[in-house]
Amino acid sequence: MATSLDQENRPSAHDNDPTQTIVETRNLGKVYRDFWGRKKVQALKSLDLEVRRGEIFGLLGPNGSGKSTTIKLMLGLLFPTQGRVFVFGKEATDVSKNERIGYLPEESYLYKFLNAEETLDFYGRLFDIPADVRRQRIESLIKMVKLEHARRRQLKEYSKGMTRRIGLAQALINQPEFLVLDEPTTGLDPLGTRDMKDLILRLRDEGKTILMCSHQLADVQDVCDRVAILHQGELKELGRVDSLLKIQDLTEIHASGLTDEAKNQIREIIEKSGGKLDRMDNPTTTMEDLFLEIVKESEQRPGRRGGRGGN
Amino acid sequence: MRLNPDHFWTYSEWLFEKNALRDGAILSVTLALLGFVIGYIVSVLKYGPSEGFLRVSQIIGQLFTVDLPKLSFRRIYAMAKLAVKESIRKKILVLIGIFIVAMMFAGWYLDPDADSPARLYLVFVLTATNYLVILLGLFISCFSIPADIKNRTIYTITTKPVRPLELFLGRVLGFTAIGTLVLAIMGLLSYVFVVRGLDHSHELVSIDPTAKSGESTYNNRHRHTFTLNSEGRGTTNEVKGHRHIVTKVGDKVVIGSPIDDLTARIPIYAKGLEFTGRDGEKNEGYNVGYMSEYQKYIEGDSLSRAVWRFEGVRPNLFRDVILYDLTISAFRTYKGDIVTPVGGLIHFRSTDGKVKSEDELFKVKEFQVDRRSVRTKLKGFKQNEEGKDIATDLDFFNDIAANGSFEVVVRCQDRGQYLGMAAADIYLRPADLQFWWNFVKGYISIWLQMFIVICFGVMFSTFLSGPVAIIATVAALVLGFFGFFVDNLVTTTSKGGGPIESLIRLPTQMGSQIEMELGNETLQQVIATADRGILLAVSQLKNAVPNFSQLDTSNFVAYGYNLFGGLLARHLTIAFGYFVLTALVSYFFLKTREMAA
Ligand SMILES: Nc1ncnc2c1ncn2[C@@H]1O[C@H](COP(=O)(O)OP(=O)(O)O)[C@@H](O)[C@H]1O
Ligand SMILES: [Mg+2]
Repeated sequence: MATSLDQENRPSAHDNDPTQTIVETRNLGKVYRDFWGRKKVQALKSLDLEVRRGEIFGLLGPNGSGKSTTIKLMLGLLFPTQGRVFVFGKEATDVSKNERIGYLPEESYLYKFLNAEETLDFYGRLFDIPADVRRQRIESLIKMVKLEHARRRQLKEYSKGMTRRIGLAQALINQPEFLVLDEPTTGLDPLGTRDMKDLILRLRDEGKTILMCSHQLADVQDVCDRVAILHQGELKELGRVDSLLKIQDLTEIHASGLTDEAKNQIREIIEKSGGKLDRMDNPTTTMEDLFLEIVKESEQRPGRRGGRGGN
Repeated sequence: MRLNPDHFWTYSEWLFEKNALRDGAILSVTLALLGFVIGYIVSVLKYGPSEGFLRVSQIIGQLFTVDLPKLSFRRIYAMAKLAVKESIRKKILVLIGIFIVAMMFAGWYLDPDADSPARLYLVFVLTATNYLVILLGLFISCFSIPADIKNRTIYTITTKPVRPLELFLGRVLGFTAIGTLVLAIMGLLSYVFVVRGLDHSHELVSIDPTAKSGESTYNNRHRHTFTLNSEGRGTTNEVKGHRHIVTKVGDKVVIGSPIDDLTARIPIYAKGLEFTGRDGEKNEGYNVGYMSEYQKYIEGDSLSRAVWRFEGVRPNLFRDVILYDLTISAFRTYKGDIVTPVGGLIHFRSTDGKVKSEDELFKVKEFQVDRRSVRTKLKGFKQNEEGKDIATDLDFFNDIAANGSFEVVVRCQDRGQYLGMAAADIYLRPADLQFWWNFVKGYISIWLQMFIVICFGVMFSTFLSGPVAIIATVAALVLGFFGFFVDNLVTTTSKGGGPIESLIRLPTQMGSQIEMELGNETLQQVIATADRGILLAVSQLKNAVPNFSQLDTSNFVAYGYNLFGGLLARHLTIAFGYFVLTALVSYFFLKTREMAA
């Protein structure tokens, strides 16, 4: 729910209902500089995007493409060198927005000398949560991320997957409306990845808005409603996952149990009606195709935005 | 130990009459302006003039609108607790082990032949504790935030609703708690070490049954003599700063544990000291040349005398005797009989000079406190109508010190010799304070220094890396130590006017010897006033860093003087001032720093 203050601070009139926009970036850019102010890396170039209430928004891109930078800008961990970010209609540097946000950093940067309970208790206190509520939430979160057996062990003894899970629990201690996950599945085994994805979908179904980034195509394809594809700090694609993957003048036929004869017949029909058969074999992961294509295109013609799909 | 006049100021005297409040205000305003200007310049360089101004005013505005009002004790406490845990995991408590080892070595090396073993022991434990906890404060405070930034644990902190000030306060509170624990343990160990180290006993060697005087065995490199009264009680003479109580139980004479070595005298000092010359005229006292500006001298066998004036001494502080300590030194113009000390005469008199006690003879005990007393029922003189002194019995508080004011007059007896004294060289001694309480006060002093170090360490670590923050903190302390240089700088630039006047003189090539003539009286006055203001501001800037030599009170404890409450309150106020200063600077840096850069 937006307060009147939110509305005052609203960046601009918008086509959509403003209360439905959780994050808005406008011409957002970031240049990392060294101590002397010399330019090191242009990590992000004029990014415009919106994350809407209730969706799972994916930031996809290879390593070093600016995903984490974007997230840090949204959280106020970095200050933009160009453009602005608004979260819940407030400047990203506004501390009070953090009340409604949960954040899982790229690696779980937690205090290694605390155990799971102490960790959650500590972050719970940072949200000024009273003791009894805190205790309840710690209980249910530990159960949710399946760390009951390790609740009293120091985090430095945790495996990568356990660390990721306590990191997620930490991000949920304030029951946030908006969850920011930086590569939630890295370091997890296939089973752990599956669990994590299920959890993300469940949280979305509970009404949370989720922004996640990943370089793993399957993750994004499986869980995200919309994606933005970044490459070398530039936005290459933005849209619904299903429409992005749909190629308009391409017809896909999935059939099984066809004989070679039947296949030849289909070929003939296509040729007869003026079409051209590009390919006829078992389909690959289509997201991967798209992704590789974008990367290739972008390397040939940097600075151009591709023209697939719609919002 | 030398007490300075400023040690006696009461808290309110210091705050108002000695301008501490005014100077603090000037310093605050100067720093605030300086901070604003620097912040603005940096902001303009980064964002341009209008945007830059907006940002600076936003930061200042938010301090009062949100960042202060929304402070949460639960968050501060959580971070303090974390800081404590972190320090304990880092094995900070090993420091106490080091301290114990240091004390064990010291136990062997502290010179038992010293004149005052108590002082030696106390100076050692206080100094050792002081250095160790300052080092502790330095290291825990300077490395914490930089480590959080390096490990990026700061990401999970600043993405929570944590206010910049809470980050500072949590750290300061946590480290202060750890420091307090360490300091308390060290204090307790020190106390036991000192008391045990000084404790010893003597046996009886011989007693003369008729005179009831006797001698003790030779222990700890000294022996005592004693005399018993008719009830079989008495004390030994004072050797190495202590005495023993001697009691006769039946036929046996028992010599008890040492007393008086660990004391906390509560001195009542004179309000003023005046001198008269050999001709009986008032003067400043004589200088004997070489060493001291601290002491002034009176000449022997002449009208030269020193007069201390006491005020507001309440009778109920004393019973039938008034104890007072005298520390007077002699300056010999000829050697004379070197074994016989130079002598002096002392008497008490009313402020109008009409009532006085008999002169009492004393011998100068160089570099030692002469413990003396005067009975409240005493013999003296009263002036009659014709101005003649009539010998009579007197009551100290009725006749001499009616309404609590009186004077102490000292003369030098020996022709050609001099006696030297300063205002603090005589003081009355009402009942002593419990030593342990003075000891605690000494540790509170150390605690305050540690607290200030922690504040500065945390402040510097908000924008510097750990090692650099340590260097910066140490530099600040060193700078504070030499703060008086800035003072000199300021007072010596007065020739040729202040900064603004100099700015005018330079381009117009006006020499510094001639008066500045601008042909406009008011303008000249405005410039002069502004210059005075600037110089005043600059002179206060030295106080932006703490001067630990002034905050050190270990000598009070070591030399057995009550550490004045007023002094401690002053130091507390100063520490609080630095706390506020460092909090604000930290706020500014935490607010403007990119945590992920
Ligand atoms: N603190 C930093 N200082 C300098 N360069 C950085 C910093 N953080 C990231 N970069 C650079 O910015 C680019 C984007 O990084 P990042 O946003 O972390 O990528 P991603 O999360 O997509 O892998 C990379 O080239 C990276 O090297
Ligand atoms: Mg990343």
